[in-house]
Amino acid sequence: MSEYTVINSRAVRRDTPDKASGKAVFIDDMSLPGMLYGALLQSPLAHARIVRIDTSKARNLPGVKSVVTAAEAGLIKYGVSPARYDETLFCHEKVRYVGDDIAAVAAVDLETAIEAVSLIEVEYEELPVVLTIEDAMAEGAPVLHNEYPGNICAEVHSEFGNVEAAFANCDLIKTTTFKNKRQDAAFIEPQGCIASYDHFGNLTLYSSTQVPHYVQRTVAMVLKLPIGKVRVVKPYVGAGFGIKASANPLELSACLLSMKTGKPVKMNYNREQVFQYGRARHQFTHTMTTGVKKDGALLALKHVCYLDGGAYSSFGIATVYYAGSLLGGPYKLPNMKYDGYRIYNNKPACGAMRGHGGVAARACWEQQLDMIAEELKISPIELRLKNMMVAGDVTCNDLNMSSLGMKECIEAVQNGSEWSAKKGKLPKGKGIGMACGFFVSGAGYPIYRSDTYHGTVVIKLTEDGGTALVYTASAEIGQGSDTTFAMIAAEALGIRLEDVRLESGDTDFGVDLGAYSSRQTLMTGHAVKEAAEDVRQKVLEVLSKELNVPVGEMDIRNSLIGFKQANVDFSGLRTRYVKEHRGWTDNPTDGPLTFKEAARMAYLAIGSIVGTGKYKPHELGGKYKGAAVGTSPAYGCSAQIAEVTVDEETGQITVDKITDAHDCGRAINITSVEGQMEGSVSMGLGEALFEEVKFDNKGRVINADLAEYKIPTMLDMPEVKTIIVESNEPNGPFGAKEVGEGAIMPTIPAILNAVYDAIGVRIHELPLTPERVYMAIQEAKKGKKT
Amino acid sequence: MLLPKFDFHEPKTVNEACQILAEYGAKARILAGGTDLMVNMKKKILSPQQLVSISRIPELKNLEASADHIRIGACFTVADLCESDAIQRHLSALAEGAKNLGTPLIRNLATIGGNIGSARPAADLPPPLMAYGAQAVLSSLSGERTVPLDQFFLGPGFTAMKPDEILTEIQVPALPASSGAGYINIGVRKAQDCNLVNVASFIALDAGGIIQNARIVMGCVGPIPLRARSAEKILIGQKPDTALFTRAGAAAGSDSTPIDDFRGTAAYKKDMVGVLTRRTLDIAFHKATHRQ
Repeated sequence: MSEYTVINSRAVRRDTPDKASGKAVFIDDMSLPGMLYGALLQSPLAHARIVRIDTSKARNLPGVKSVVTAAEAGLIKYGVSPARYDETLFCHEKVRYVGDDIAAVAAVDLETAIEAVSLIEVEYEELPVVLTIEDAMAEGAPVLHNEYPGNICAEVHSEFGNVEAAFANCDLIKTTTFKNKRQDAAFIEPQGCIASYDHFGNLTLYSSTQVPHYVQRTVAMVLKLPIGKVRVVKPYVGAGFGIKASANPLELSACLLSMKTGKPVKMNYNREQVFQYGRARHQFTHTMTTGVKKDGALLALKHVCYLDGGAYSSFGIATVYYAGSLLGGPYKLPNMKYDGYRIYNNKPACGAMRGHGGVAARACWEQQLDMIAEELKISPIELRLKNMMVAGDVTCNDLNMSSLGMKECIEAVQNGSEWSAKKGKLPKGKGIGMACGFFVSGAGYPIYRSDTYHGTVVIKLTEDGGTALVYTASAEIGQGSDTTFAMIAAEALGIRLEDVRLESGDTDFGVDLGAYSSRQTLMTGHAVKEAAEDVRQKVLEVLSKELNVPVGEMDIRNSLIGFKQANVDFSGLRTRYVKEHRGWTDNPTDGPLTFKEAARMAYLAIGSIVGTGKYKPHELGGKYKGAAVGTSPAYGCSAQIAEVTVDEETGQITVDKITDAHDCGRAINITSVEGQMEGSVSMGLGEALFEEVKFDNKGRVINADLAEYKIPTMLDMPEVKTIIVESNEPNGPFGAKEVGEGAIMPTIPAILNAVYDAIGVRIHELPLTPERVYMAIQEAKKGKKT
Repeated sequence: MLLPKFDFHEPKTVNEACQILAEYGAKARILAGGTDLMVNMKKKILSPQQLVSISRIPELKNLEASADHIRIGACFTVADLCESDAIQRHLSALAEGAKNLGTPLIRNLATIGGNIGSARPAADLPPPLMAYGAQAVLSSLSGERTVPLDQFFLGPGFTAMKPDEILTEIQVPALPASSGAGYINIGVRKAQDCNLVNVASFIALDAGGIIQNARIVMGCVGPIPLRARSAEKILIGQKPDTALFTRAGAAAGSDSTPIDDFRGTAAYKKDMVGVLTRRTLDIAFHKATHRQ
């Protein structure tokens, strides 16, 4: 039996009935009176100087209400990290990728808006296009941003310990190079928004976003509005995976057009525009050199990484840091050197996506560790267990593993998959492989430098005493955070889940940095818990005075008040309550004092009961440059074992089973934790086997739809056996930490290692399409013959 | 994405449909399931002024199995093909093609006529139908004519159909005893994929177990589904075995004319033609020797 009454159980998600029945309201379902529709003019060229823009024909088209370009929008630079604000709402001198925004139109309907866009004349002077890292770094290559010569958007150089000295003591040094491919997150709901500017100068933006708070700040900054006049509201959102974790041109355009017209303006991306906008996982090229002792002890890692960044920075600075820092654990690694480069080119910008910066790095390294294990004749599991950190260990780059159920995860998947009965005993064409990973539970700092709280929460009891209203600006984007926070509130307050009502995703409710870097359960969760405890205390204090019982001798559980002493006489309170409710049929008669009665008495005594909570991380380790990227109050970790069948004649891979163990500290909603684990497997499997955004030689995406950009179908998904490990994180609310992103880390390398086990060939480039696997097998055969 | 403007017609009989086509000719397109046409219209690749839906013509949804033919109405859906006992029993390679087409949602809408009439080189149904020796029945105001599917496809999106004609029916001749066919398609993922290569093979054996007739049809490796003529020649007159099928596979690879594109290289597709030919011949041989 759990010691908890609400959390650590399987609660029905608050959004499920609405989503299942079609009642859930997304942007596309919304409409406001007098609403206009907006459309964007986006560059057809990957790199060109804008010589002239003529909007007169578009302006004269009947039904068009406003046309805006850089002339109207201004040239305030924005982006994700203030250190790299390199975008303006509309291009003014040149366009840098196919899809770069040039103008926006608002009209009475979408057809008219699209027609008006086609009437805007732009004269371009074409510039040479660079589409790859190599071309962008070549001598004399055209420069995208004058401020960044050589097209180097960001570079990181760090060394912890002394790698070269450590190599001198190694018995085996292994170097491999690995490449993934540019991803699209393929969320089900394309970005969309409605902006509404009122007569008093207040701007309300409804948007499909993960981060109402950052969008609010960016809108205010770019459009020069007082931030108090900007409100961002998030309706139901069909996922984001990182791509919706910053303000986009759609949001800024809709706001500007609404300000110009005084009418609500709705704008949406279609699927092609989702691909064109990009901002998903970078293509990384990792070269790693790992040195070990004969017994498998890891001594040093030298790591060089190039990120194919696209035309703008987006999250890229954080990405290039994460690509290095997230290899600090979960193994004891005393020496680590990293050189990372993020390179601009004329493709859509890449940004943050599930497992930010760490996924390809993890895939490269975990495959290399298996190669090392094989050469040392140590089992992959033994090698990992030998080097594994335990709770309390600190990595060479100062990441503090305040809890770490890594060993438990490995043992769980080892048993859960019957590894020992299978490893080395499967027929040719079948393979089994394993890998580990870990991830942050929220970043230690906001994206902009500030002492702001990362989350604030207000809980108010309805004056009748029956219901707790939770107000949080956090973002439910399909991951289940609303339910999680309602459960935390109910648990901390001592009431039933059905006595909690929760509203979220509105900047008027407070500050919350939003749904990114797997931060909400830990950070918002803390704030919810604190607010609930505040409310609980206020109710109990009133009760204490009324009944003359010390607060410490009372408890609230299941919406009932418990007393340590027997025979506490609360009949006076009950009589008062019943007198207030003459004629009501649900008045308490006998039995324990209810929370409803107690809360009503508290209201009568002191007015509305409002509790507040807040959270920001304690001071985290790392004094070096870039320490802000990777340090977190807690780290989730996981291990996975993949079992595959490879058709060696065609190269087709079938993933038969994934056994997945994740340490989430404490599962608040068990079903949601499992959902995140299974979703991560699906996403990792797609990246491992199928997914790649492809371009033609003019920088145009050639597979900008979900027919040709191939995410896994139901038939591609294996059986997933999920095992939850609970390590009770000291820095987490009720011991909870992340599951949303860390769970993706081991999937790709586990599949890579299983494929090698099946066919005896190592493949160092994703995705493992049938053709790539087939060609690798053919190459290996040729190699054997000669 | 928005659809371009068009007029919509919904005739109740084939004759009525033919009249509309006679009036508008090339300005009209026939709409059956719409799984190909609607996508191309939204992408503005096609902008027909007149859309003629044939979904309300009951006779086009019939399936009729007689002693000498199986006749499948053009609006028979792919989902229906998957579920039909007659198709499963007599034309199992076609059933296999149907099961591998798109997703359940697409199969509910897509029709056999549309899958043929749209003339996509990677379509799932033409190879098995051609392997079975099927023909298309085309109707217009001037009457009905029959075109073997071998001569029906002219290029990607182009067929022997004239602008005033409707594909009303697919006819598959009754199969000889001791014959069978197999179909395999491969893509990048397990479903909802544009095929990389798809192959259907048909063989008929004589009483002595010698291959009397063979048809091998390869999709995705040419502008239209291609017959692997030299592979067929290798098979005819021979006793089936794995070595023979492997040789036929290699010949089929040489018969194919794939191109490099973003989905895959010509070299890979050629090799896969070989593998799939051998494997579909194995299936065909098994069916030929185990049928009823």
